[in-house]
Formats: sequence, C-alpha cells, structure tokens
Amino acid sequence: MDERPVYLDYAASTPVDPQIWDFMRDLSARTCANASSTHAAGRLAQSVIADAADRLAALLHTEPRKLIWTSGATESDNLAILGGARYRAHRGRHVVTMRTEHKAVTDAFARLAAEGFDVTWLDPDPNGILDPNVFAAALRDDTQLASIMFVNNETGVMQDIDALGGLCRERDILFHVDAAQAAGKVRIDLEELPVDLLSLTAHKFYGPKGIGALYIADRPGCHVEPLLFGGGQQRRIRPGTMPTELIAGLGKAAEIATERMDADLRHLAAMRDRMWTGIADVGGLLRNGEADGFPGILNVSAAGVEGESLLLALEPLLVATGSACNSTNQEPSYVLRALGRSDAEAQSAIRFSFGRPTTGQEVRFAVERYRAAVARLRELAPGRAA
Amino acid sequence: MTAEPYSARVRELFAAPAHAGDLKSGQSAQVEAQDLRLRLSAVTSDGAIATMRFRAWGCPHSIAAAEAACNALEGQPVAALLEFSAHDLMEYLSVPVEKTGRILVLEDAVRSLGLKFRDGP
Repeated sequence: MDERPVYLDYAASTPVDPQIWDFMRDLSARTCANASSTHAAGRLAQSVIADAADRLAALLHTEPRKLIWTSGATESDNLAILGGARYRAHRGRHVVTMRTEHKAVTDAFARLAAEGFDVTWLDPDPNGILDPNVFAAALRDDTQLASIMFVNNETGVMQDIDALGGLCRERDILFHVDAAQAAGKVRIDLEELPVDLLSLTAHKFYGPKGIGALYIADRPGCHVEPLLFGGGQQRRIRPGTMPTELIAGLGKAAEIATERMDADLRHLAAMRDRMWTGIADVGGLLRNGEADGFPGILNVSAAGVEGESLLLALEPLLVATGSACNSTNQEPSYVLRALGRSDAEAQSAIRFSFGRPTTGQEVRFAVERYRAAVARLRELAPGRAA
Repeated sequence: MTAEPYSARVRELFAAPAHAGDLKSGQSAQVEAQDLRLRLSAVTSDGAIATMRFRAWGCPHSIAAAEAACNALEGQPVAALLEFSAHDLMEYLSVPVEKTGRILVLEDAVRSLGLKFRDGP
C-alpha cells in the first residue's frame, strides 16, 4: 500500500454516502422553497421533511411527531439539557450526569451549575460502565433531569440505557441520552427504552454535517424550553427555517442505516477485532473501555510512548489521540482520566474508529504502522533516571 | 488538531533522527521536566565535541530540537555546551511559543552536559 491517508476516525465524522449526496442534489434541483410556505413548492418541501421524519422514526422505532430537527448533536444536547432543566426548575434544581460525557453535555451542565442548579457528576467503573446502583443512589427527591450517553465517543463503552432510564422513569425524572455515537449504528428502540430525550447527528452515520435531531417523548412533564426564538416552526421548540436538503439527507442516512445495521455491526466487529488481534502482543498496551462495547471503536494506551509523537509517527493513519491535541492544549483525556488512567496512560491513548468503508487492507496497514511507531518511540525514549 | 502543527524541518528531523542513541564513553546528562525526558551523551576529542547522541520521550518538537541540537553541537568546542541557547532552535524549527518550556529543558540538558565535562560527573 502506498502512503495515502488511511482514515480510521469514523467516530469523529463519516463520509457522506454517495447515494445521499445524489438524493440531496436531486431534491435541491426540484425545490428551493421554504417549507413554511403554503404554495405548491413549499408543500413539496414539507412533504420531503415529513418523509425524512418517517425514515428517522423508523430507525428509532418511534413516531415522526416526536422528532425536532436541530443543527446537530451539540444543539440537541444543549436543547435537551438546558431546556429540560429550565422547564422543570420550578419542581427542583438537581441534575445528574457523568464525567465521561461529551463536552456538549458536560459544558451544558456546567452552564446549569452557573445558573444555580446542583449538578452531581458520576464516575464510571474502570471499564467505563456506570453502575445502576451508583446512579440510583445519586437520584434525589429534587432531581429533575439526568443525562447519560449511549456510546462513549472515546472508548465505545455502552451504558445500560434501559436500566438507567427505568430508574428515572420510576422517579419521574427527565432522562436524556446523547446518542451521537449510537444512532444509525446500534439498535435504538424508543418504544421500548425509557428515554425522554435523545440527541443525534447525521454526520456520524454517513449523512451530512449540520443537521441533527432531538427526540422528545410524549408524556406528562416531558418538555423543553426553547433556546432560540423567532418563528413558529417545530412547535416553537426549535424555530427557524428548516434546511430541507440536510433533513432529507439525514432521513436517507437513517433509511440506509436501518437496512444495513446488522451487516455494519458485523463488519465493524471484524475490523476492530482484526486491529486488536494484530497489536495485542506488542506489550505494555492497555485497552481503554470494556472489550464488548460498540465495535466501531478501539482505544489503546501504550506504556512508554508519548501521545503526540505517536500520532505523528502513525501518519498517514488518521486517528484520534487521548489528548485534546492542539498546540495550546495537550491535557490528557478527561474521559480516560475518569476511568482511572494515569496522565501518561491517557496521553498515550489512540482511538481507532472504523466505518462502513474500512477495509481489511487498511487495518493491516494500521497494525503494521502502529507496531512500528510504538517500537521506534520506545527505542528512542531514555529510561527513568536512577 | 488545528492548522499544520509541524514545520517540514520538524517532520524531517522527527522521522529520521541521525543522532538517536547512546554512547558508551564520554559524559551524559539526563533531565526530566515539562513533559520531556531527555538524555544527552557526548564524546570529546581534542577539546571539541566529536560525537553527540540523544534519547527523548517527548513531543515531535522536542525530539526534532534534540536532533537539531546534536547536529549543531558536533564539531564545536566543548565550551559551546555551556553557552548553548535554545532561542535559535525555536525559530529554526518554528516551535510554537507554548512549547518554549520544553525547549528550555533541552537547553538545561545541554548545559548540564557541559558542566559534567567541565566539573566531572
């Protein structure tokens, strides 16, 4: 294989499926109308959006009327957490989440704390799992909202959403799930799961960037205050002109994901297992997160290796590191620190994430490159001073 | 990762550091601070630095800087170790200002090596 980039960062974003580009392009040629317009072209846009909602609802096993379009998971998370807590603030001001949530969630909770809400931050066990007993113990009479992610974006760890949601439902607590890494990838049945609010984004499952959705259950006390104002669209929960093409793209991505989910999961598991099998004997490696989590993610720390140098030595592999990896912030991953990893372990972590287009040849190349990079950097490093 | 974080020079020196390793004779100095663990070794001949090697656990800029320093110091008088300044390396390698501390660790290591030649281990 030549030195072309090998993309193994599908947890960060996925390429848009060519079928979806074609679908969106064709739609764009058919109508430019605002879906709020009442003329024929506007009604066509409305019908396109309704079709997309049907497709997404089918993926999630829910009803289209329970879906709100947003700009992506960050907005959905913010709308659910800020909007949900504010809506229920007259009942109580205690909210619960985990330290290993995505920044879109943790920063929203930090905002709630600044507004006077009492935030409980829960730690997972060393495998990244939140014990339902720990969760139950954190819930109080004044708890109004809890937010737990479905699949962790760094480790692939999957939480027991059914059990955690059940604990909330028993206590009439709003339960939000950040499903940015789960939607379109693992089965989500909102007819069965006790989830009140669920966030997702299209670009994690081969749809376009800039479009997401928030599911809002239809039950008493389950509502969110809007974050935006200025129109009557989407029941005023999320006003603004709806991006017809992007919504259609999300809907098409949902349709494809529904059809391919089982095959995708088998493929991802095969790629992840091939990767891990290929490097497991390197020595001094630490797999971060439970082994039977979401199969699209493999997170590995390497003792004696500096993370930023490892990332550069791995080129042309395009992977994510355990640190924020920008020139002004190289803090070790707070997610891995919450799992009990040392700074050095977290800093040396590499997240390999696989996708529908990943090939066995790419994984073999990644194995070779990882083994060589770790060996070279270990050889280069001096021992500890006596 | 934001814009291209590494200059072409850093990439080149990081990818193939000709001075990586240890020396069995001469003097060596090791320092550890600022996310950098660095050992420098040198052998002198007729008052000049004949051979210099390094080992490093650190970021690509640190490794490239160690390689560049070894390359620049070989052939210089031993006293050059005590006069070594990292300032020029920062510019030569386009090291971002937030990594100044790591490059200063390299400077400390070079001077520490110079002191060992001057004062003995």
